[in-house]
Amino acid sequence: MSKLSFRARALDASKPLPVFRCEDLPDLHEYASINRAVPQMPTGMEKEEESEHHLQRAISAQQVWGEKRDNMVIPVPEAECNIPHYESLYPGEFKMPKQLIHIQPFSLDTEKPDYDLDSEDALFVKEKEITELQFEEMIDRLEKGSGQQLVSLQEAKLLLKEDDELIKEVFEYWSHKRKNSGALIPAVKQEKRDSSSTSDPYVAFRRRTEKMQTRKNRKNDEVSYEKMLKLRRDLSRAVTILEMIKRREKSKRELLHLTLEIVEKRNAMPDLGAEVMAEALAQRALVKPVYTIPLLPLSNSQYRHPDLNELKDYKKPEKTEPVRTKRKYEKKPKIPVSAAHHSGPAFFSPKDLNQYDFPSSDDEYSQIVSGSSEAEEETDPDGNFAFRRKSGCHYYASRPEQSGNWPWMSPTEGGLGDPRFRFCLTSLNAPRRCVGLARRRVGRGGRILLDRAHSDLDPGLDLASVSPLDSPLHRRSTSDNHTSDLSSPLPPPSSKTPVDLSQILLNIKSCRWRHFRPRTVSQYAPGSGGLCRGGFRDLSRTVSGLTRTLSAQTRTGPGQLPVNVFTVEQYQHHQEQVALMQRQQLEQSQLQQQQTTATTAPQPTKTQVCVFKGLHLSSAPSAPQPFLQPNSSSPSQPPSTPHPTAAAAALGLLGNAAPSTTQVLIGNNLCLSVPTSRHLPRALATVPASALKLSSNANLPSLPNLPNLPSLENHEEEKASLNSLSDNTVAMEVT
Amino acid sequence: MADNVDVVEGCRLPVLRKNQEHEDEWPLAEILSVKEVSSRKLYYVHYIDFNKRLDEWVTLDRLDLKKLQFPKKEAKTPTKNGLPGSRPSSPERERKSLDLNVQTTTTTTATAPSRGKTLPAPKRKAEPPAPLAPQVSPAPPVPSLPSSAEASQAAVYPAARESTTFKSREDHEQLTSLTTNGTAARRLIPPQPGRKRKANCGGTDEVWKSTLSNVGVVLNQDSQDSSDGIPTAPRMTGSLVSDRSHDDIVTRMKNIECIELGRHRLKPWYFSPYPQELTSLPILYLCEFCLKYVKSLKCLQRHLTKCNLRHPPGNEIYRKGTISFFEIDGRKNKTYSQNLCLIAKCFLDHKTLYYDTDPFLFYVMTEYDSKGFHIVGYFSKEKESTEDYNVACILTLPPYQRRGYGKLLIEFSYELSKVEGKTGTPEKPLSDLGLLSYRSYWSQTILEILMDLKPDNGERPQITINEISEITSVKKEDVISTLQYLNLINYYKGQYILTLSEEIVDGHEKAMQKRHLRIDPKCLHFTPKDWSKRGKW
Repeated sequence: MSKLSFRARALDASKPLPVFRCEDLPDLHEYASINRAVPQMPTGMEKEEESEHHLQRAISAQQVWGEKRDNMVIPVPEAECNIPHYESLYPGEFKMPKQLIHIQPFSLDTEKPDYDLDSEDALFVKEKEITELQFEEMIDRLEKGSGQQLVSLQEAKLLLKEDDELIKEVFEYWSHKRKNSGALIPAVKQEKRDSSSTSDPYVAFRRRTEKMQTRKNRKNDEVSYEKMLKLRRDLSRAVTILEMIKRREKSKRELLHLTLEIVEKRNAMPDLGAEVMAEALAQRALVKPVYTIPLLPLSNSQYRHPDLNELKDYKKPEKTEPVRTKRKYEKKPKIPVSAAHHSGPAFFSPKDLNQYDFPSSDDEYSQIVSGSSEAEEETDPDGNFAFRRKSGCHYYASRPEQSGNWPWMSPTEGGLGDPRFRFCLTSLNAPRRCVGLARRRVGRGGRILLDRAHSDLDPGLDLASVSPLDSPLHRRSTSDNHTSDLSSPLPPPSSKTPVDLSQILLNIKSCRWRHFRPRTVSQYAPGSGGLCRGGFRDLSRTVSGLTRTLSAQTRTGPGQLPVNVFTVEQYQHHQEQVALMQRQQLEQSQLQQQQTTATTAPQPTKTQVCVFKGLHLSSAPSAPQPFLQPNSSSPSQPPSTPHPTAAAAALGLLGNAAPSTTQVLIGNNLCLSVPTSRHLPRALATVPASALKLSSNANLPSLPNLPNLPSLENHEEEKASLNSLSDNTVAMEVT
Repeated sequence: MADNVDVVEGCRLPVLRKNQEHEDEWPLAEILSVKEVSSRKLYYVHYIDFNKRLDEWVTLDRLDLKKLQFPKKEAKTPTKNGLPGSRPSSPERERKSLDLNVQTTTTTTATAPSRGKTLPAPKRKAEPPAPLAPQVSPAPPVPSLPSSAEASQAAVYPAARESTTFKSREDHEQLTSLTTNGTAARRLIPPQPGRKRKANCGGTDEVWKSTLSNVGVVLNQDSQDSSDGIPTAPRMTGSLVSDRSHDDIVTRMKNIECIELGRHRLKPWYFSPYPQELTSLPILYLCEFCLKYVKSLKCLQRHLTKCNLRHPPGNEIYRKGTISFFEIDGRKNKTYSQNLCLIAKCFLDHKTLYYDTDPFLFYVMTEYDSKGFHIVGYFSKEKESTEDYNVACILTLPPYQRRGYGKLLIEFSYELSKVEGKTGTPEKPLSDLGLLSYRSYWSQTILEILMDLKPDNGERPQITINEISEITSVKKEDVISTLQYLNLINYYKGQYILTLSEEIVDGHEKAMQKRHLRIDPKCLHFTPKDWSKRGKW
């Protein structure tokens, strides 16, 4: 194989190349013909320069001799060495530091003037008898103070701190010199803004308008910037939410503690009849502000029919109320005795309310009311209860002489014993009529008993049964299968009242009067919730002289019997909800146990829960039991208790509010959004409970705006986020 | 004599110069400029086929007027082709033909006779007369005779593209037909110089003259990477590939007579954008340590009373014996970096000072004596390089040349790359001296490795190109080109082998004996920074 006719393979950089000495390969020259298969690499020089005479000469010399000969080097212009004045120019010695030199940042910034005096200046300086450095500093300032326009003498006087005479002389010297020779501190030409200097060869070191590209094809700058912005927004939103959660959880904890405290205190008082509580509530009702926020404890919320999901949410505000009550209650020893009932911290403006999008509990409310920040809260001994004047609020003078003379107090205390604090208007489904003031409790076997109270309203109330308020319910109940039976005999009202029916209806419709109707509450529950809020105050003004009512057992009468309309579908739905609630109850059972022992009727309450559970677990759909409001009835209203409402409220709170303030939140919003939420239940009735809850929550964001609180809109966004958060919270609690 | 009147810019004629043996020779030269000093005419000549650094002002008596060739418009272009070595004028011509979008042979170089302009002093040039152009761009003294002023502004020379670096002139000639890279109507900003600072890559930022399309100019389609576009400014890295400003007649001429730096007086080789008012001085004085330029010895004296520096104002990252290296951040120490660039530009033809120094690190090599750390040379390096450059510009100051410092600088640059764990290569284009130095360094480095290879288990020693690259941090392409240049690669019995001839071995051993200055990696205290994570250079 003396001659090879094939082409050599490409050179592979990763393939080992054996290294030979030429003398070991005597036949190498025979292969020389194909040695040139490796492509010639470029030199890296500019083409024109590659062929330059001296370079070529040097290269060939190197190739011939393996090194450059002296006369074959590339000639360059000569450099001169050993300047005679070097020693005098650079006097002194510089000792090499032992360590490597490390320069400190900014150590190079000296205050020394950039201007260097020349021999012409030296004469001037000598003449004026100033130091060279002083002169240089002055010129330096003048130079640097001048842009396109030279510094004027006036400006110079401002720039320089020497005496005027010297300034004038130096200034004149400088202006003259500058006129002759231009800028005295020579500097590399700067680019001009108008980009006319782009090709001026004397312009150098232009600013880079764009960052030098370090990676090719990196085009994501703008997109990634936007992504970063979004990320930042999202993260900060998350921070906000977490902040709110933190506050909420704190509030929940405090709520729990306060509730415990309230129960203990009441037990110690003993406020078994809930008079104190009622007083507190009434006080709040009086002071209560212009708009409808569920601040009032719905002490008889258990009367309402809670078997739909949004109702559950809706109930939440009520559950929170005991907190407020308790708070009032704590105050009470001070305020009612010593001073102003009216001067409570109850005035607050909608604006304050909107500071936080979702006041999740009473704690937050009070926080808002008092305008206290979290920090304040922690430092102030009174915490949430410290009284702080709010701008724009009206404060009434205290009326000590009237203390004890409140309508909600029992007559023995000088009050009126107004029953409106413990009873609410109640309607029955079948026969469709209003039974007047009543309150509900659960009797044996889950039976619902209505304790009716006599009032002046009673005569007119019969007519109210077919009020427009009920019309949607009416339609619904008629289309349903009426598998209902009479759940309980109800005592009829016995007395007449001159109160105008239309006014009552108006009150009800405008949410000032609470109205309760068993069974189909869901559809107007939100409305009644609203009623509950405002009801007492109105009532307290319009109604007087009501006698105190007694329990239903003593007052059985020919009654309008509330009909429990109960369909299979509803029953199943109800079951789901019950299951849900049982879970919550179980969570709270321990707490409840503590609470109930403090109440006068611990046993009933507890057994009630158990009975309730057992009932629903065992009952078959085909055999509907006569329970009416399993949801709300469970924790409340021991029949034997004469004044059960306050206790029930407290318990109800414990049972339901504590597990989830989120729901309280939502309930609040629902209360605000009466008109829309009314239509929800029907659509939601067949959906599984948890889904219902979520969906009703999901509907919330749009709701809060409805009830004439336009300022809420500002917080719509955060609200939405918080809302979705509470969504999650709820879901987690449910599962 | 009367005929000296006729010696104008663009003329070619033999000019007397002494060669290294101090013999007279008469190489052909081109008159680039004429000036009159004390009623004596001086001619700035470029010796054709010699490097620009040898260009000089000569008196009339050194011109061989008998062989004077007048510049001929028609003859110009052919001449250019015939004289490939005369680099300075050719790119200009090419670009002009681009601008005109006409297949004329119009001479647009500085040699155009019609310009008839004299340079009174190294001062800024007068406006090119440009008789055909009613309104030429005011700012740049572009020696052009565009048929359309607009077209002259267009300045579409695809110079800064890497790919064009080695492109033959013929390729450039084809560019007469231009095409906008797909984007027909490109917005352009100012009608004036029509260029924008921009990266030469990245298609979005190129500025295009709308007038261009009006004139019917189409940009060349050739760009392999379409993102390249037409560079309107030098590329942002340190070295300058030929571009328009480079072809400017001003930048083609040395503008500083002499620089005094420490003990040395240096004769600049090339243009440097020192403040224009200083270019007329016989000597420009520089502070040896901070490199500040002043106009007189008196000023320098004054400055030295205020300047405390006795070493470059950076961190010393290497010291062995009297040799130290200082690292200077071009963003943090702008003044020094700019001063360094200004003096470096005096000796580097292809260095660009167009942009600020922010993206560069400067490694200054110093030699210590009792006065301080004297600058010997330096190299600059991009903080982040797209293309594996580990050196942008590199220079040994003339007084220190031919003493091994250049190789030391190169060696140091590769030591840095080794610490970084990368291979690197100097930014192109290389100068003649740069090419020789790098080739020499690569050869010695590779031969060192090859000669040290020991046969393992009796097998013949072998090594891959990649291994060489990894050991030395020399980029693979440079390894191959060196092996080729040394003629070590041979195809033998169906495979490539490396052969070491006796001459190579002897030459290497001799060279290594003379190479006393070496970098000791143990003396290097260097932690590479990841500049990409800093956001700023």
